[in-house]
Amino acid sequence: MFTIAVKILIEDRVKYIGLLIGIAFTAFLVTFAMSYFAGFMTRGFALVSENPSVDIWVMDRAVSSSEATINMSDAALNLVKSVQGVENAVPLYMQDMTARFPNGHFQAFQVIGVDDATLSGIPKIKSTRDASELLHIPGSVIVDSGGTSDKLQTPKYMKDSYPFDGPHLNAATRKLRFGDTLLINDKRIVVAGVSQTIPRFPPRPLIYTTLSNFKRLTPSQVKRLTFVMVKIKSGSNLHLIAQKIQKQTGLKALTSDDFKKQTVMWYLVNSEDVGDMVNMVVLAMLVGFGVTGVMLYMFTQDNLKYYALLKAMGASSKQLRVMIFTQVFMSALIGSGIGIGVCTLVGKLVANGDFPYRMMWFSPLFGLIGVLIVSITAGLISQHALKNVEAEMLFAS
Amino acid sequence: MSKTVLHCKDIVKTYGEAEAAVLALQGVTLDVYRGEMMMLVGPSGCGKTTFVSCISGLLDFDSGVCDILGKDITSMDTEEVVAFRGRHIGFVFQSFNLLPALTCVENVALPLTIANADKAQSYTKAKVLLDAVGLGEKYDSKPKHLSGGEQQRVAVARALVHEPDLIICDEPTSSLDHQTGQAVMQLLQKMKNETHITIIVVTHDNRIYKYGDRMAHMEDGKIRKVEQLG
Repeated sequence: MFTIAVKILIEDRVKYIGLLIGIAFTAFLVTFAMSYFAGFMTRGFALVSENPSVDIWVMDRAVSSSEATINMSDAALNLVKSVQGVENAVPLYMQDMTARFPNGHFQAFQVIGVDDATLSGIPKIKSTRDASELLHIPGSVIVDSGGTSDKLQTPKYMKDSYPFDGPHLNAATRKLRFGDTLLINDKRIVVAGVSQTIPRFPPRPLIYTTLSNFKRLTPSQVKRLTFVMVKIKSGSNLHLIAQKIQKQTGLKALTSDDFKKQTVMWYLVNSEDVGDMVNMVVLAMLVGFGVTGVMLYMFTQDNLKYYALLKAMGASSKQLRVMIFTQVFMSALIGSGIGIGVCTLVGKLVANGDFPYRMMWFSPLFGLIGVLIVSITAGLISQHALKNVEAEMLFAS
Repeated sequence: MSKTVLHCKDIVKTYGEAEAAVLALQGVTLDVYRGEMMMLVGPSGCGKTTFVSCISGLLDFDSGVCDILGKDITSMDTEEVVAFRGRHIGFVFQSFNLLPALTCVENVALPLTIANADKAQSYTKAKVLLDAVGLGEKYDSKPKHLSGGEQQRVAVARALVHEPDLIICDEPTSSLDHQTGQAVMQLLQKMKNETHITIIVVTHDNRIYKYGDRMAHMEDGKIRKVEQLG
């Protein structure tokens, strides 16, 4: 009966292809939505990802995400260093600041101050020169688009830079590069390099600089330390050290993986984009259901006469249900394969750009589950049509 | 007297309810015996299709007795009726009703496939019957590649493959030209003579009456008379 079900399914090529397209479309949309979700979540914890050598992140107890932070006292650094099992601990300062470009335009940046000695947290720059060499030039910074486009534009011509006759807001511009200057709190900074680190979510330009320069740029504050990045001694138990830090300092200490997870959870609870993503998945499933469900139902309706024939020849209701679900599962598997395959190809194309796309293990799984939910529901509705099968419909009159 | 294959008494069937009710069968009584071909004739709307639907367990009726091979089909539940039908009744329809996705062999073997019989044996049996109906060259052809007469011969082979006790033919020649129709009836007659199977033929076609052993005339939901033929 399985073979007969499959043969009936593929006999009507047009409907079969339509059915596969409907299912592939559902799988594509759900997988794409999940990959988009994974993509922007990855950007959400970009700070953690771009510091892979950090074992433990220490922060204020109230902090649950790398993106929504409150600062600690500088004393926290020494407290952390004093915990047994900590190999080294370096500070990371973060603050949103507005920079003014030479033509008068301004742009909000997230400024990240790193330890002067180790420069831990500085991304790789597009230069043949070493970042440590460059960042120790007074006032120097590394700029990064942070996933934005056209936000790092400076005047193309010297005549439009710091003009005496007021801002030249309509002046021709070009991308920031080595040697360009900006003003933060009326203090001059010099671009020592441009990096291309993991884009942020939400996208915003970044400035990396040394702690001493960071302190020069920010107004005096009692608490400026955002994170302490910890490297533990080799052979130590990561979670044990994190617990020790928490206990001894009263601060929150999370392993990198735990911090990523907490950040994702924070986004799930706080980000409106998650709602948009859920809407996208629901919409994908509804559209998929519309197409797949209708196609499958039509397919069964068109074949009712043959189911009636099988019933007349002694096929039980169970056998007919098995046939319907054989068709459903076969279509679901092939359609999902096509949909997920196309999604992978499209993903490769869009991920090369700035689109937050990352296909993780759960993306195709969700795609398959989405398709199965849609297909099984459609199968149940189609099966309902079988209840109306009267074998007498086979007779002439 | 030959063994009774079908015994019907006072079968009543009503469609619809209350004022919209239509009395399709008004107490049909008929006995059909083993090895005979019974022609069931009558004007359109007289209840022939309703009657054969009732006796094959495809349609419930309101009252009356219907025993097939000595078994009262009203005492069986739905799945039992389906299984009984699968074992003991074969059908030949006016519009052939072959599955277009299947080859001739697969179509003929369908009743055995449904009964979960061994595939190889089913196909062997199907091929023997296809040979018997003169379609030995068309084992792997699909219905769309066959003429109407050939399709009906496949349908006859399918009706016989599981060796049923009763075959119900609904207008088996209506979709065929005269010559092909005669050939199909000759085939049914030959099969009946060889296997002593019982055949009920619902028909309007008076050119095939001659193949029957007896003929039941239906009118207004009743059997008006049963006459001996030939």
